[in-house]
Amino acid sequence: MSALAHIGGSTSGSAPAAQPTPTKRGKVAYLLLLPGVLWLIVFFVVPLVQLFTVSLQSKFPGYPGYYYRDVNFGNYLTAVVDYWPHFARSLLYAGLATLLAFILAYPLAYAMAFKAGKWRGVMMICVIAPFFTSFILRTIAWRQILSDDGWIASALNALHLLPGGHITETWVAVVAGLTYNFLPFMVLPIYASLERADPKIIEAGGDLYANGLTTFRTVTLPMSMPGVLAGTLLTFIPAAGDYVNAELLGSDISTKMVGNGIESQFFRVVDGYPTAAALSFTLMAAILALVFLYVRKYGTEELL
Amino acid sequence: MAGFREAQGDLVLENVTKSFTTFTAVDDLSLTVPRGSFFALLGPSGCGKTTTLRMVAGLEQPTSGTIRIGNTDLTGSRPYERPVNTVFQSYALFPHLSVRDNVAFGPKRRGVKDALAQADATLSLVQLTHLAGRKPTQLSGGQQQRVAVARALVNHPEVLLLDEPLGALDLKLRREMQVELKRIQTEVGLTFVHVTHDQEEAMTMADTVAVMNLGKIEQMGAPDVLYDLPRTKFVANFLGQSNLMSGHVDDTDGDNVVVSTAQHKLRLRKSRAAAGSGDIAFGVRPEKTRIHNADPGPAAAGNSIGPGTLVDVSFTGVATQYLVDVPEAGRWAVYEQNLDLERIDSRPGDTVWISWDPGHAFGVRP
Repeated sequence: MSALAHIGGSTSGSAPAAQPTPTKRGKVAYLLLLPGVLWLIVFFVVPLVQLFTVSLQSKFPGYPGYYYRDVNFGNYLTAVVDYWPHFARSLLYAGLATLLAFILAYPLAYAMAFKAGKWRGVMMICVIAPFFTSFILRTIAWRQILSDDGWIASALNALHLLPGGHITETWVAVVAGLTYNFLPFMVLPIYASLERADPKIIEAGGDLYANGLTTFRTVTLPMSMPGVLAGTLLTFIPAAGDYVNAELLGSDISTKMVGNGIESQFFRVVDGYPTAAALSFTLMAAILALVFLYVRKYGTEELL
Repeated sequence: MAGFREAQGDLVLENVTKSFTTFTAVDDLSLTVPRGSFFALLGPSGCGKTTTLRMVAGLEQPTSGTIRIGNTDLTGSRPYERPVNTVFQSYALFPHLSVRDNVAFGPKRRGVKDALAQADATLSLVQLTHLAGRKPTQLSGGQQQRVAVARALVNHPEVLLLDEPLGALDLKLRREMQVELKRIQTEVGLTFVHVTHDQEEAMTMADTVAVMNLGKIEQMGAPDVLYDLPRTKFVANFLGQSNLMSGHVDDTDGDNVVVSTAQHKLRLRKSRAAAGSGDIAFGVRPEKTRIHNADPGPAAAGNSIGPGTLVDVSFTGVATQYLVDVPEAGRWAVYEQNLDLERIDSRPGDTVWISWDPGHAFGVRP
């Protein structure tokens, strides 16, 4: 919407004489926007409003599974009181996974952008290739990799480095799964921002008395911040709402995330709809607030 | 490390060669740039001039040979250890830093206490004080160029390298910046090494011009000397324009040698001939020639050619340019300033002769 206002504003402002052209261009712009806007209204705004009304409904006493329209904010209270450990785990696991993904992705993206040469294409395919397999299947594969008789767990057990004896059914497996599944979303934006950077700018750092490490800290890293910011958002937001990793790699109770709470309220608990909807809205609000603070602190002009 | 940075004196390249896997960019190059001079490396793209510059900056290491400033051997040292700064072709300004922070970057890295004050002083030298708080993307090309110059100058490098710094600017701005850079160089008295493919830019700014081709220096000297007396065919054609034809030195006549071409016997001062005998390419600059619509006669026998056929006349205001096809001598260009009140009314197809002052002719290796 702001882009549209900008188009209309700038053309009519700079060339008031050529009145017919801007209006025509404006019409075309609106026409081109129409399918996308309609799509958003039908498949995003309407369900969102619907979900919000559900989150305020009350149970019909005596008729399990029936609700009536209400303004029952108690659902939100129930959601927060009953599920605050899930919220905490969601944010913690997603935060850890984002941090780990960043640590893994940055050197990889850096190598792809500056060092890979002719191998760049191959590395890119390696990053993208997992997408050709289903998300669920890949997560199940991790259950095998991390299983008790898998080589990682048995090696660690042999060295007495695994306190509980298991990797699966622990938060470690959940965070590992989240990290793995969202890694490409961290790699690609960082790679894009590094690849776009003029290598001469990095050379200029060296030319101006900064050694390799200082050049990285003062030039390369700040220049790639838009990519880092995009990557962390693309990793953190879906990871915080994820329930597949906790379901497949975690334990029954102690590693459940909000996503699992919502899923069970929707599909497994009779009368759970309002609580599930309230959980969904609370999660959305929490993520929005965190993202807003994060972008305010680290954001660059390009993103705001 | 500080040792490198303290280096002072002339910039000396000795037998420097840079080979890449498939070709040799710089081939056994030796040159001395006196301290405080404005030196231009001129050549077509791919001649090795930028590679030479990058080796001085430390961004490339020579395959063999040494690079010194004064008595300090810089070969093998890192860019950040050298008292050398570069103004990059694309400016390479740090996009995430303000203009002031861009300029203060070098002093900060060197641990200078009043880095920002130095940055401000240098910004006033390039007349950009009012834009210190902006980001580079908010500046015009010419302004970015000044920031790039300031960012390098603020460090008072022993040698300032300029890699085609005016290439991206339009003609008018480029003229302004040429004057500006020359003024700054005179004011700060640093050694400037300027790489360019624009012969006019090199000649207007530099004290000394080195013309490079295929990794070697073809000829080096003051711009007027280089222009007046090119020593190779490449220089004759790259630095301005030349009318050239091949001939053979087969006689002497007092201070002159006699060059026989297919149709003519021409005279050339001995001091202006690259060879005292054998094959030679005889040349005259277009603006040193005059056009005639009658044979200039025996008085001009050693310094005229013709008859030829006029193929094109273009009036440019200050001058008229003629193109003449002379049998066995190729196509010659003649620039005549429009000095005469009654101009020769020549048209394409006319038969014409070309003459010149004998002192203007030169002979280069074929």
